[in-house]
Amino acid sequence: MTMPDDAQSRPMFRIRNLHKSYGSLEVLKGVSLDVRPGEVMVIVGPSGSGKSTMLRCLNFLEEYEKGEVYFDGGLVGYVDGAGGRRVRDRERNIAEMRAHMGMVFQHFHLWPHKTVLQNVIEGLIVVKKTDRAVAMARGLEVLRLVGLEEKRDAYPNLLSGGQMQRAAIARALAMEPKAMLFDEPTSSLDPELVGEVLDVMRSLARNAESLSHGTTMVVVTHEMGFAREVADRVVMMDGGVIVEEGPPEQILRNPTHPRTRAFISKVLH
Amino acid sequence: MYDWDLDAVTDNWMVFVDGALVTIQLTLFSFAIAVVLGLLIALARLSPSRLIRMPATVYVEIFRSTPALVQLVWIYYALPIITGLRIDGFTAVGLGLGLHTAAYFGEIFRGGILSIDRGQIDAGKSVGMVYHQLMRQIILPQAVRRMIPPFMNETASLIKLTTLGSVLAVYELLHASNVLITSTYRPLEVYTAIAVVFGIMIYPLIYASRLLERYWGAGTQR
Ligand SMILES: Nc1ncnc2c1ncn2[C@@H]1O[C@H](COP(=O)(O)OP(=O)(O)O)[C@@H](O)[C@H]1O
Ligand SMILES: [Mg+2]
Repeated sequence: MTMPDDAQSRPMFRIRNLHKSYGSLEVLKGVSLDVRPGEVMVIVGPSGSGKSTMLRCLNFLEEYEKGEVYFDGGLVGYVDGAGGRRVRDRERNIAEMRAHMGMVFQHFHLWPHKTVLQNVIEGLIVVKKTDRAVAMARGLEVLRLVGLEEKRDAYPNLLSGGQMQRAAIARALAMEPKAMLFDEPTSSLDPELVGEVLDVMRSLARNAESLSHGTTMVVVTHEMGFAREVADRVVMMDGGVIVEEGPPEQILRNPTHPRTRAFISKVLH
Repeated sequence: MYDWDLDAVTDNWMVFVDGALVTIQLTLFSFAIAVVLGLLIALARLSPSRLIRMPATVYVEIFRSTPALVQLVWIYYALPIITGLRIDGFTAVGLGLGLHTAAYFGEIFRGGILSIDRGQIDAGKSVGMVYHQLMRQIILPQAVRRMIPPFMNETASLIKLTTLGSVLAVYELLHASNVLITSTYRPLEVYTAIAVVFGIMIYPLIYASRLLERYWGAGTQR
């Protein structure tokens, strides 16, 4: 990526008029949003409002029909084709771009046939072709970061939900991503396990020791305490559009939009 | 009380060995075709392109909706007429059973691949894996474990189906036995003996399948 503007001022994500439909159901109806490098962006909104879909468009797990997503200056998923129409980029280029974004899922999606450490170093070895010894060292480093060093040789089915999610975060971090996407990372956890995962995410947001800069994070969550404490900005989505965005104090304490108000009061009570 | 004459079997044990060797050769020949072609069929049927999916689907439906015996005699008698290529009985049966079993293997492979949760693939994609890496590292290792039981079943079926070769005078176990009976007049002993020989060949497969299932079930994953 050889863009003339400097990396500091360039947004990590630039989303412009993003549209996405499943058949006749329009799920994203024109979303525009910039995420700056190092920023922690929390996305809230009722179920079905399109949060997951938007997140999945960012790393092109979902194709979008209209609008643009730029990641670190490059258009995500498409290149200019014949006749001015854009066409899907080559799989290799899409994969290369995805390797620079980590993603953490509500249901972890650890690979059950691999140990925790194997899960964490798989991408390094297979995608980045990192030397095995180097990958192991890096893998242990991120496992230490999430407090799972002693579980390195355990298979995922022997872990608690909180441990699984921390392992999944470690798997994403091992790749040294420029940005991390979290889709309701604590929603499927027992309440007593939520804290340990949020702690890890908090430490990531505050310049975790292994990272040169604070990680850019886009987090879909219903954890309002986390949002208030860690988020730089909160975005409220409803019905496939952003209805309101701003600093956490404003969105969470004094929302102006009635739908935000209704949603916030429902989540807090 | 029937008077068993086991000499008819023991004196002619070489017939069973020869027959079993041909049965095994037929099985291996067909198996090799079925595995390779089956994998291609599965990948084709999973392709996003209709143009690639369609022929594979038609293939599978044809081979699943017609009897194996009809497929074999068709290949033996009809194929030479169309292509002008003469093939011997062994080749016709090996090829026919290979094509036949490929349809079933293809469905087993496809089912195994489809059984892998989409989240597993999303996770692989999100660390930057491309198709062949996803297949090799994430999908196949998990899918193979689920495919083993039906795959072993189908392989056992293939071994049994080789007896159809007797119709085309291929000297596999059943045909060898039929020939033996014409000289010994001892169908009960001879047919019992080949049942035992088949059992000896097939049971270990079923047993191994069970062991593998238990090993994988108890070990590393759900
Ligand atoms: N793969 C899909 N196929 C069809 N509809 C989908 C699919 N994924 C999501 N949807 C629909 O899109 C809408 C938005 O879903 P989603 O982005 O998951 O919302 P959220 O994450 O905010 O709960 C919902 O109505 C959902 O049913
Ligand atoms: Mg969601």
